Amino acid sequence: MNVYLGIDIGSVSSNFIMMNNQKEIIKNIYRRTLGNPVKAIQTGFTDLMDGCEEVTVKGVGTTGSGRHLAATLLGADVVKNEITAHAVAAAQFYPEVRTIIEIGGQDSKIIIMRDGIVHDFAMNTVCAAGTGSFLDQQASRLNMAIEDFGGQAVKSRQSVRIAGRCGVFAESDMIHKQQMGFPVEDIMMGLCEALVRNYLNNVAKGKKIEDLVVFQGGVAANEGLRAAFEKVLGQNLHIPPYYNVMGAIGAAILALEKSQGSRQNSRYKGCDYIMDGQFLSSSHECKGCPNLCEVVAIKRDQDILAYWGDRCKKWEGSLSQTEKANLQVV
Amino acid sequence: MTRVGIPAGLFYHYYYPLWKTFFVDLGAEVISSSLTNRQTVEKGIAVALDEACFPIKVYFGHIQELNELGPDYLFLPRLVSVEARSYICPKFMGLPDMIKASLPDLPPIIDMVVDMSINSKGLEQEIKRVGNIFTTNEKAISQAFRHGREELCKYRQLMQTGFSSSEAIEIWEGQERLLTTSADLQLGVLGHGYSLYDRCISMNLIGHLREMGCRVKLVETCSQDEIEKAAASLPKRVFWTLGRKNVGAALHMASDDEIDGLVYLACFGCGPDSMIKEFIERRSNGKPFLGITIDEHTGEAGLLTRLEAFCDMLRRRRKIDFESNLPPYGQYACGSENSL
Ligand code: SF4
Ligand code: SF4
Repeated sequence: MNVYLGIDIGSVSSNFIMMNNQKEIIKNIYRRTLGNPVKAIQTGFTDLMDGCEEVTVKGVGTTGSGRHLAATLLGADVVKNEITAHAVAAAQFYPEVRTIIEIGGQDSKIIIMRDGIVHDFAMNTVCAAGTGSFLDQQASRLNMAIEDFGGQAVKSRQSVRIAGRCGVFAESDMIHKQQMGFPVEDIMMGLCEALVRNYLNNVAKGKKIEDLVVFQGGVAANEGLRAAFEKVLGQNLHIPPYYNVMGAIGAAILALEKSQGSRQNSRYKGCDYIMDGQFLSSSHECKGCPNLCEVVAIKRDQDILAYWGDRCKKWEGSLSQTEKANLQVV
Repeated sequence: MTRVGIPAGLFYHYYYPLWKTFFVDLGAEVISSSLTNRQTVEKGIAVALDEACFPIKVYFGHIQELNELGPDYLFLPRLVSVEARSYICPKFMGLPDMIKASLPDLPPIIDMVVDMSINSKGLEQEIKRVGNIFTTNEKAISQAFRHGREELCKYRQLMQTGFSSSEAIEIWEGQERLLTTSADLQLGVLGHGYSLYDRCISMNLIGHLREMGCRVKLVETCSQDEIEKAAASLPKRVFWTLGRKNVGAALHMASDDEIDGLVYLACFGCGPDSMIKEFIERRSNGKPFLGITIDEHTGEAGLLTRLEAFCDMLRRRRKIDFESNLPPYGQYACGSENSL
């Protein structure tokens, strides 16, 4: 069977999907990056290919903040930013989509779609108050697993208004409301609504949220948040079946589309390449000029595959042509 | 020879050729700090007030670097207004004082007030006063200033062709620079020159866009007339010089069909920017708009993601427009219905 792989390496989670040429998902893996993307890619990829000895990889797409790293390790045909990848995936499941609300662990975005393509977008910049980590934090303060959070929150009959402008205010306000004796589920629902307000104020910032609205990203599983969005917006939210790996799906679709339009073979380096090699990343400070760039090198056994972080591209330039070709962004 | 130090930040990007020519003609040697790099930024952040905006903090770093070179004078102009009825951001007015207060042990400062809000009389006197540090020959002073203006003019002509100020200064100093010609997108890229054209502060925004296949149009590529005409369409006159130029250029570009989209680089903590950016976004006539706000914590990865996504969006949008404009019966390979 011919398959296409999509890999989304973010700071919080690393996602892997395998898709056939009918764009059907054959397998998906969602795991935490845990601060070590090289390892996350190796183990995630091993899990993905486990028991799939019969497949032929026809194309690979990578996305997420670690997209270049993943492309270096695996060999990729498409290296795409997260916005485009998420939009492509959402449009695949919902051709009519006009708004995508995407909330992940560390970032959140809004994508406005027209006729199946991105029309406008925004990402959160500095503040984490509109992202999943906001709920994570508050859940741990309530001594509750984040997985149970949504289920508890929807039991609320009357949410408590929590000043959720930022995590610090939210915490003190929450403690205050607890002391006043409000039921915990009402407080939790209040937190969900605070996150929604933060998202609408900081990320969506007055952009028109038109139907059909797709809600995706790791946080979309949280029923409390979904209910809060529907209440505040007065609109229905659609949650795709693979809501937490949409970036990876988008990358795979783009790889598939690219391979169909070209006669070139995939840049995929093969299973053995990633599974048998020892990958190491090391960093050093370049003293070539006052920029003192923190240059990161990725090595497989003794071979240097890539450099990052050199502003003047002096280190990248020292690589051989074939290695450079592998780094090309498409 | 008397050595005058000019920090390579803020209005360096707008007036360096003028100032340098002026001092050199008066027999001084001009030294300047290196273009902003990570050390400049770190040194600046360490001493500047927390409330200052990013480019001002960086300016503090430039002054420290210059100071280490031991100049006889530091040139820190006090820019109030460079044209009638308009002003430079108030932060510039107090800048020399802010610097003297937080950085002791500086060489004598040439603090020249530039205020042309009413007329240019005051400036003429200031030029004379500053020139007198080097010579008593008044004719030589006014000649040096005139020569400076001529060089400024040459420099601005370079920028009209699409070079950023950093590049134009390099060319003006005798280096060679080429503009890439292969591009399939045209973007209007706006912002305050001392941030946008500083390759370190802007994280090389312009360079990245060019690498992504964009031809970049800047405030300086629009003519004065085009800018003022477009800016006049606002209900109230914008009296910040840079703000008005940005709005005017943006609105002018918004009505230009050749321009695919607009990018505005704003600085976190900048009062004028927070308004100007909104203005442009709301009045840009449906032209695709990408607003980017940076500060010293912004990472380059996030910037690249946004720029890439924006370019992707413009390309995919154009493809669709193109396809939906195709006549249903197909196109002629060349020529039209009335010709072969
Ligand atoms: S990598 Fe280039 S820009 Fe960075 S410190 Fe070294 S020489 Fe300077
Ligand atoms: S206009 Fe904004 S960026 Fe420029 S000096 Fe003033 S506050 Fe700083």
